[in-house]
Amino acid sequence: MTTLTFPLSRIEGHARVEIEVQDGRVISTRFQAMEKRGFNLMVTGVPADQMPVIVPRICGVCSTAHHVASVKALENAYGIQPPPLANQIRELLLLGQLIQNQATSLFIFTMPDRLGVESLFHVDAEEAKKETQFDIARRALMVRQLGTDLITLAGGQFIHPVKAVVGGVSSGIDPGRAAAFQQRLQAALPTACELVDYYWEISTRMKDRIGTWGDDQPAYYIASTERDDPRYNSSIIRVMTPAGECCREFTADTFREELIFEDTDYSYAGRTSYQGGVIRANSLARANMTRRMGIRRADAYMRRLRSEFGHPAHPILLFDLCRGIELVYAIELASQLLEEDFTKGEVDMPYNPRDGEGWGLVEAPRGPLIHHYVIEKGKIAMGEFIIPTVHNMLAIERALRVAAERYITTDSVNLELEKAVGRVVRAFDPCIACATH
Amino acid sequence: MTTIQPPRFAVLQLSGCAGCEVSLLNAGEWIDRFDLAFMPLVTSAYDVPEVDILLISGGVRSDEDLHNLRQAVKRAKKIVAVGTCAISGGVTNLGNRDEVRQLFLSQSERHNLPRMLPKSQPVDVFVDVDLYLPGCPPTPELFMAALLEPPDFKASANVCQECGRQKLMDVKPTHLVGMAGGQVAPDICLINQGYLCVGSSTRGGCRALCTRPGHPCVGCRGPSNALIEKDSSTWLESIQRVFKSMTNIPPEELREALLSPQMALFLFQFSDYAGGDRPARSKDKVL
Ligand code: SF4
Ligand code: SF4
Repeated sequence: MTTLTFPLSRIEGHARVEIEVQDGRVISTRFQAMEKRGFNLMVTGVPADQMPVIVPRICGVCSTAHHVASVKALENAYGIQPPPLANQIRELLLLGQLIQNQATSLFIFTMPDRLGVESLFHVDAEEAKKETQFDIARRALMVRQLGTDLITLAGGQFIHPVKAVVGGVSSGIDPGRAAAFQQRLQAALPTACELVDYYWEISTRMKDRIGTWGDDQPAYYIASTERDDPRYNSSIIRVMTPAGECCREFTADTFREELIFEDTDYSYAGRTSYQGGVIRANSLARANMTRRMGIRRADAYMRRLRSEFGHPAHPILLFDLCRGIELVYAIELASQLLEEDFTKGEVDMPYNPRDGEGWGLVEAPRGPLIHHYVIEKGKIAMGEFIIPTVHNMLAIERALRVAAERYITTDSVNLELEKAVGRVVRAFDPCIACATH
Repeated sequence: MTTIQPPRFAVLQLSGCAGCEVSLLNAGEWIDRFDLAFMPLVTSAYDVPEVDILLISGGVRSDEDLHNLRQAVKRAKKIVAVGTCAISGGVTNLGNRDEVRQLFLSQSERHNLPRMLPKSQPVDVFVDVDLYLPGCPPTPELFMAALLEPPDFKASANVCQECGRQKLMDVKPTHLVGMAGGQVAPDICLINQGYLCVGSSTRGGCRALCTRPGHPCVGCRGPSNALIEKDSSTWLESIQRVFKSMTNIPPEELREALLSPQMALFLFQFSDYAGGDRPARSKDKVL
C-alpha cells in the first residue's frame, strides 16, 4: 500500500491530506488537522464576563463570530434579550466578517487556482501576467478591507472586536462615520461585482479544462440563516435532505440530539454527521436553503445560480461561486442597514449575572457556530465550541475520494491530483484554528 | 538600467489564530514595496526560502512548530516576532496552568501528527529575535513600521496619550463595573467610569483602538518603555497607583481583577513572561 501525502496551503491553519492507495484502488482519503491549542480546557476557571474578549482569539479569521456567539451564550445563561439596536449592530459586525472572509477565500485562497499561479502576490509571474495579477490583488484587498473596516466601525477593534457586551453593545455608531462608510460601500460595490463576475468566468473556464464542477453527490445541508432574507445573527438551525426538503429545525441547546459527533485518531479535529449521513455547511448550504437574498444585486446572482445549476445544487465548486453571491449580499445589505440611525434607542439592558448554562448561536461564514458554557460561581466550569468546519469533515473526505478516484489508475497517478486536492479542500474553506481550537 | 530588488520577506505561522496575518493583509501597501516569498495562508510554497525579513507569528506549541522555527530562522537576515503569541504565548498561556496542561496533553496523543510539547512557549526561548512587534494583533500601521527601515512611524509613550478621553479628578468610582456598566459615556476616561482600563501603562502605537469606541484597554501591546525592562510587580504597582489616585476602588478588588485571566494574558507578557525566569527584553528591540 502507498500513502500519498499532500501538504496544504492557502487555507486557514495547518492541515494535510493523506490518500492511501493499493493497486490503483483508493483505500482511504483523510483530512488531517495538525494543530491544537485546547480552548475548551483553557477557558475553565475564566470569569464568565471575560469570555467575549478571550474567545475571539480562537481564530483571527472568524473572531467576530466567536465574539458574538460568546455574548449570546452568556445572555442565554442569564435569561436576557438585547435591545433591537444592539442586534442590528451585531448583524453589521457579522456582515463585516462575511465580507472579509468571503473576499479572502475567493480572491486570496482560490483565485490563484483559476489563474494557474502560486499566489496572488507572487512576483515570480511573467511580466505580462504580473500587472493584471497585481491589479486584481489591489482591488481584492480593497474589497476585503471593507470587511475589517466594517468590523472596526461596529465592533471597536478590527480583528478581535470588543463592542458586543452582555446585554447589548457598548456604544452606538456615530452617524457621520456611518454615512461616510456607507458611501465607501456604495463606491466599492461595482468593483466587488466585477471581481465576482470575473471569478465566475474563470471558474467556468477551469471547469471546462478539468471537465467537472467537482463531487456532486447529494448530501444533507445545515444552516442557521433564514429561508427568506438570510440573517447571520441567527437563532434556529435547519437541516435539508439531499433531495432538497427542509427536514428538521432545532435550537442550539438540542444539537447533541440532532448531530452525531466523533473524534478520530488521525486528526486533531472531530467530525459530525446527521443521523449517520454526510452533511455540508457553509455557503452552498445557505444558498440551497435560502429562497431569496432579499436584496437586488445578490438576488440577480442567486437567479443565475439557480438557472445554471438547479436546486438543490451539489457540485462542490459551487461553494466558491456562492461565496461570491454572499460577498455582494453583505456589501449591499450593510450599506442598506447603515441608513438607519444607530444612536437612537437603548444600546444595552441591565442584567444580573447568574450561574447556569447557556448556548449561543450565530451563522459564521463556515456555517452554524455554537458556544455552550456552564457557569459556576461566576466562572466557566465547562466550555464547548461547536465549530462549523467540523460539520464538513466527512463531506471533505468524500469529495477527496471522488477526486482521487478520478486521477488514480492502476498504472499511474495523474499530476492533476495535487491541484485537485487543493481545489476540493479550498471549496469547503475549512478553518483549522477553529476546528481544533 | 538596474532595477533594485524589493526586499523579500516571509511569514512563518506557528500555533496562533492567524489574526496577525489577517492584519498584515490589511496593510496592503507592502504589495508594491516588498516581495512576499512565503506565507502559507496566501502562497503555496512549502519551505521558507532565503529572505531579508522573517515575521514569526504564533507560539511554539508542537514539535513541528519547533522544527519549522529552527529551519526558517537559518534562512533569514532579520527575525521579527509578531503578536502576543510569538512574544509571550498569548492566549495559549491559559493552557500552561498545571491542571489544564495535564489534561490537554493526555487528550492530545495522535498517531502520526505533530506531538504537543509540555508547554506553549514564546519564540525567543528557542531562537534569537531582532525585533518584537507586540499587539494582539499588531495593527497594519505597526506591521508596515516593522517592515520598513527606517520606520516612518511615531508612537506615543502609552495608550492614554492616543486615546483622547479626558481624565476627571473629581469623579471617583468606588467599584469596578465589569462589563455590565451600561452605555459608556464618550470623551470621559474609562477609569472615571469604573472600567479596568490599563492604557496608562500600556505602550502606544495602536492608536487606542479599543478605548476610543468605549472598551477598556486590556494591554495587548504590553508595557510601555518605562516599564518594559522591569519585572511584572513594578508594572502592577504602576497600575495600582493610577487607580489609587483616580478612584476609591478597594485595593483587593483591583488586585484580583488585574490578576484575572483576561488581564494576565497580556499584561505580564514582557517582564517575567510566561511565568519563567528569562531576562527582560531590551526596549530598543520593541516596536
Ligand atoms: S497574537 Fe493575537 S492575533 Fe496574533 S496569532 Fe496570537 S491570538 Fe492571534
Ligand atoms: S487599546 Fe489596548 S488592548 Fe486595545 S489594541 Fe490598544 S493596546 Fe491592545
